[in-house]
Amino acid sequence: MTTELHRAFTSLGKQGDDKQLPPYFLSYAVSDATVVAIQAQYGALVSSSANHVRVADVQVRLGEPKLDNTHGAHRSSAVNSASLPLADDREALARSLWLATNAGYGKALDNYLRVKTEAEVRAKEEDSSPDFSQEAPQVYLGKPAPQVKIDRAAWEQRIRALSRLFRDFPDVNQNLVILAVQNETDYFVSSEGSRVMTPHAQARVVVIAVTRADDGMDMFRSQTFEAETAEGLPAQAQLEAAVRELGNSLEALRKAPVTEPFDGPAILSGRAAAVFFHEVLGHRLEGQRQRGDEEGQTFTKEVGKEVLPAFLSVADDPTLTTFGKTWLSGNYQYDDEGQKAQRVDLIQDGMLKTFLMSRLPIASFANSNGHGRASTGHVPIGRQGNLIVTSTKTVPESELRKLLIEEAKKQNKPYGLYFEDISSGFAVTQRTSPQAFQVIPLVVWRVYVDGRPDELVRGVSIVGTPLAAMKRILVSGDKSEVFNGECGAESGTIPVSAVAPAMLFSEMETQRQPQGTARPPILPIPGAEAVAPAKKEAQ
Amino acid sequence: MNSIRPVALFTGAGFIAAILGAACLSAAGQTPVQPTRSDAEKDPVLKAMLTEMDRSKDQLQLKDFQKPFFIQYRIEEVDSFETKAEFGATSSSRRNQGRMARVTVRVGDYKTDSSGGRGDGAVELAALDDDPIALRSALWMATDQAYKSALAAYAQKQAELKQVETPPQADDFSKETPVISLAEPLKLKVEERAWEERVARDSGLYRTDATVKDGQHDVQYSVGSFSARVTTTWLVTSEGTIVRKSAAGYQESFGVGTQAADGMRLDRSYTTTGTSLKDLDAPEVFEKKAVALIASLTDLRKAPLVEEEYHGPLLLSSDAGADTLYALVGSGVTATRPKLGTEARTNGPFASSYHARVLPDFFDVVDDPGLKSYNGKSLVGAYDVDDEGVPALAVKVVVDGRMENYLLGREPVRDFPQSNGHGRAGLAAPPKPSIGVLQVTAKEGLTDEELNSRLLALAKDRGLKSVYYVATLGGNLTPRLLYRITPDGKRELVRGAELDDLDQRTLRSGVVAAGKHLWVANYFGEVPETVLAPALLIDDVTIRRANKKNDKLPFYPPPE
Repeated sequence: MTTELHRAFTSLGKQGDDKQLPPYFLSYAVSDATVVAIQAQYGALVSSSANHVRVADVQVRLGEPKLDNTHGAHRSSAVNSASLPLADDREALARSLWLATNAGYGKALDNYLRVKTEAEVRAKEEDSSPDFSQEAPQVYLGKPAPQVKIDRAAWEQRIRALSRLFRDFPDVNQNLVILAVQNETDYFVSSEGSRVMTPHAQARVVVIAVTRADDGMDMFRSQTFEAETAEGLPAQAQLEAAVRELGNSLEALRKAPVTEPFDGPAILSGRAAAVFFHEVLGHRLEGQRQRGDEEGQTFTKEVGKEVLPAFLSVADDPTLTTFGKTWLSGNYQYDDEGQKAQRVDLIQDGMLKTFLMSRLPIASFANSNGHGRASTGHVPIGRQGNLIVTSTKTVPESELRKLLIEEAKKQNKPYGLYFEDISSGFAVTQRTSPQAFQVIPLVVWRVYVDGRPDELVRGVSIVGTPLAAMKRILVSGDKSEVFNGECGAESGTIPVSAVAPAMLFSEMETQRQPQGTARPPILPIPGAEAVAPAKKEAQ
Repeated sequence: MNSIRPVALFTGAGFIAAILGAACLSAAGQTPVQPTRSDAEKDPVLKAMLTEMDRSKDQLQLKDFQKPFFIQYRIEEVDSFETKAEFGATSSSRRNQGRMARVTVRVGDYKTDSSGGRGDGAVELAALDDDPIALRSALWMATDQAYKSALAAYAQKQAELKQVETPPQADDFSKETPVISLAEPLKLKVEERAWEERVARDSGLYRTDATVKDGQHDVQYSVGSFSARVTTTWLVTSEGTIVRKSAAGYQESFGVGTQAADGMRLDRSYTTTGTSLKDLDAPEVFEKKAVALIASLTDLRKAPLVEEEYHGPLLLSSDAGADTLYALVGSGVTATRPKLGTEARTNGPFASSYHARVLPDFFDVVDDPGLKSYNGKSLVGAYDVDDEGVPALAVKVVVDGRMENYLLGREPVRDFPQSNGHGRAGLAAPPKPSIGVLQVTAKEGLTDEELNSRLLALAKDRGLKSVYYVATLGGNLTPRLLYRITPDGKRELVRGAELDDLDQRTLRSGVVAAGKHLWVANYFGEVPETVLAPALLIDDVTIRRANKKNDKLPFYPPPE
């Protein structure tokens, strides 16, 4: 890689009579991954595969850091991807890299010429920061990740068995259980002299289940388990319990009453708060959101100002691999631009300090803080890793519930809401879309002030503006929960984590979600005949 | 398996079945025994399908709506291995197994049903395990969805029918006799490591073979691939059809490319195909062909550009003839339901050609999926029963140059009320009429030498300085190897040409002679198809310079 990079860097733009522009920056990022994926549904295997892929992202930059081929809408022109030979055949690897570099250079050249023309004809931009930050080269050679080695037959049986548990829940009309184990070695070399090799391993079990209420409303729940290796995943009994919990919850949900519009106090569980902060706050703290005429720039002018209640602080720390005993998916040692991962204190005591930065500078911040992330084939941008929300104003969770009831009484509401689980949607931060976040509440309870038992409701959707909602947090719980997930944005899908305690909001506006009208299945799910009598007996 | 292969010959709405071969015994020499439903139930997949089918037939009905009149379950299992290599090293290697269930539900009746243009039915992933509950669950989910969509589509169809004056030209769905046919499933057996190595070696020949490695500097890509695929299909209908069938396909490919000094892209590729491993070229034969392709790049780079425009005779080799007939005839011989409210019979270039001449009168075209091999080469387009459970018939599509038949599945068109067993489907896709083994023959066909003499004679007659011969075609019927031939018979390779006027009209009135030997072209598309075709001598074709954009040459040299 290094040899071929050097050869390319010193040859490009110096050939022939019609001298072409030499690149000022060239990098090769290679991801070498072995993956085992097993999927089961309806109690049987639907796929099981093992795979090895090696992909190179070649980044070519022409012009100068101040203005290069990646400016504005041309950002994707920096990267050209190619699959590489799997064998360590030097000649074949060099030839594949040459082919990809050559194509990448062509694309970069074309885009650079257009960028220059556009720069000449347009009015001054709001943010005139350069296109690429100056950073010190990094050298770190970690150990390559080993190939994935798991007992496939045993895991197939485990995944199959988990899916089969849903047979006890005949109203769950679709289910999917997935095991994905990926061991990846990431290589990065650049013309600036960076040479980085880091391993990244992750094992994941994902359980998804779907049901449909009699009125046509579709409901789903999912549960994920992450660890560095498959051995680190929870024992089967624990996974089984989680599957049963999902099954029970969906059967209860489909019978639950449909929500009514509500504007009043609410608690988000730790897990729900983690998702909420990732979607609502985290995405808006990504550096590039503050740049460009199309972006919302929610926080651009808020640096140094209070954006959250003073008892809350938010950091993003990819260097952490665990929180308590829980593995954090969003950990990495070096980002996808070869920069060392850093803990970044985004908000301290409610005050906005900085943003998640890649090597794309913005007016207020000129440098990367090690958050340039992307999946293969994409140009890295500022993304979250492990978002950690901490609070200095905490009460035990039982107390939080009492405070919710008090707050509801104060507001003359018959109940407050308890959001047990919410799913991430997509954070929309562009100017043309409303500044509303998209989180989908999955499990919501009414907590009555008169002491009635809590009541599960379905079809809740959160409305209102994000910033306003975040400022109305009154107090938090004293235990943090972890949400591990995959986050999709412009630079692809990457693993992330968010950690937060439960939180009490003085006001959360909700409405009834638009619902489907399709009827539930006409015939019972096969095998249900066997379940129904058994259930009756149990009752 | 099939003991008789009738040739269907439709005249008007009548139907005459001519028995081609005499009834012959099955391969094992025993009298074939008609399998029964209880034989089928020994197969766990069929057993699960039949159980769920019975339940759907009996109970599937939405209150106040009609029950389905037809349900079909199709489960396909694909077991495949594919390896790819470039520049001498493996770049990917994958073994894949999967099962897909496709459910078709029709409501209404055979005359007017819910079927529309968007591909009816629903698809679900099906269990790889022979687990009855899991298999049935996938079918149940897809059936529920397909039935609800069918009810909506049927209501919409009724509304659309009220909008048009001209009634539909044929029934929506044909009635067919149910069949039970149980072929043994094939197994995929390939030595994965050995094939990885073989393909890697193919892709590295540009730098390892002594005869071509001097030119390795100019090679821009060199890729090899091998794929093996066994597809087993289980099919059950509410009419009582039960089918299990299995097909295999293997192919090894090599592709290499460069640019000429003026930037023109030059590509060559070669593929060997078959229904079993032994159909493929032996390794040394394949390597020899790959080396010849690499060597041809050097010739192509040196080859002069074709003249700006040429009008005159052109000889298409049987290889090029097969590609031409596949593109121009293969696309037109299938019959599909025309737009509602029109009087059209079908769609495509031969929509109105029934009984009309579509080729010179010395041509005949038969599509015979029962033809499993030709001159020792296996034909990938062959099959016994189609994907609607209808036994494949040999169909005389063109007789003495006239269009006398179309290839049909179970959706009839005017004058063709029955399927002739050509309803074929890609993986998880709805069936549509497709060719199987399309055989184009010319009466009094000529040898290659005779064709060549005819070509030269045409040149002399017309006082032309040169004529052309296409050895191979690439995509869009663009010549890959095109030779300019002077009247004294001297051949010169030229590059950068495209053909104009090569269309159905030219085939009908411009083909003056054809070869006697047929080329076997196996196409691994969505559904595997085969064309057997002769060389074609065409009276008047336009050849012109392609004038495609010539990309820049590499910005810097390849690594040494």
